[in-house]
Amino acid sequence: MVEQTNNPSAESSGRETSWLQMVLIGRRPRTTLLRILVLVSVCAVTFKFVLLPIRVEGISMEPTYHDRRIDCINRLAFLWHEPQRGDVVGIRFSDPGNLTTPRAMLMKRIIGLPGETVSFHDGHAYINGELLDEPYLKFSCDWEHGPIQCGPDQYYVVGDNRSMPFELHMQGRAERDRIVGKVLL
Amino acid sequence: MKIAARLVLLAVLGGLGLWLWSVLFPSPEKIILKKISSLAATANISAADGTITRAAKASNVVNAFATDAEIVFDVTGVGARTLSGRDEIREAAMGGFASVPSLKVQFLDATAKVSVDKQTAEVTCTAQVSAGDNKDFGIQELRFQFKKIDGDWLITRAETVKTLQ
Repeated sequence: MVEQTNNPSAESSGRETSWLQMVLIGRRPRTTLLRILVLVSVCAVTFKFVLLPIRVEGISMEPTYHDRRIDCINRLAFLWHEPQRGDVVGIRFSDPGNLTTPRAMLMKRIIGLPGETVSFHDGHAYINGELLDEPYLKFSCDWEHGPIQCGPDQYYVVGDNRSMPFELHMQGRAERDRIVGKVLL
Repeated sequence: MKIAARLVLLAVLGGLGLWLWSVLFPSPEKIILKKISSLAATANISAADGTITRAAKASNVVNAFATDAEIVFDVTGVGARTLSGRDEIREAAMGGFASVPSLKVQFLDATAKVSVDKQTAEVTCTAQVSAGDNKDFGIQELRFQFKKIDGDWLITRAETVKTLQ
């Protein structure tokens, strides 16, 4: 049995509900619900285990990465190849090798690869005695430091802000299992 | 259907039992991590805390350490220092707590490894410290050695770790 209404306001209200319903939950609510569940699950897994959202704190990576900038660390970046010179990476503080998501990390640029010797003279970095071209550096400095040899699983990391005194700038050799991933942008 | 309902009920009861067991008889790792977390909470000072409250908090911090405990600091830009015994730790804590308007301490990413004989343990964590109204914070990797003394887990050694060598 089909009931017809002659009330125009009720009809318009019904049309409005169906329009609203279509915008909010689509024509097939079950499919929409499934889509939402899949989307939430994919986002949760992605942002918990693959792309770690980070907020930059501090000035050691200026001017490339400003203080309070939001970015992501790609944990799968070094799945198929080892970190390269010039990569900006996240380095975990404690418990190297642990797969859990660290709440705090260091953000530094790799300039020295395993086995290489890194030194600073007149503000410039030298790898195995050869001057390293660093186009990302914008601030000049006067850093002087003798050669430091990286071990077979160590990378020499340093920030882009070399205008800070050498002693106050956190830098040095990081073990491979401390490197969490590569900064996305 | 009845069997399925019974199985679900059994699983729920089993889960509840396991949870209750872990609450009533926590593992040494859990106890130690709770100690570390409460140590950080004790070291938090608000601007409203008076001299007596600060002194009491310093005493509470010291209670987490063994009588012959040692703290070894070596922080870039701050320098190196070693504190030996509860008296030196108390003195340093009282001086430190009195000299800052406020202090916020958090121990992040703490992991505990208990020895096979369950008498000693090692905890690594990342300390995040901010003092006063300063939005910037200092961050430092730490390592704690714990020992079970008279049934209580106490810190025998705390030291800073150089993340980058």
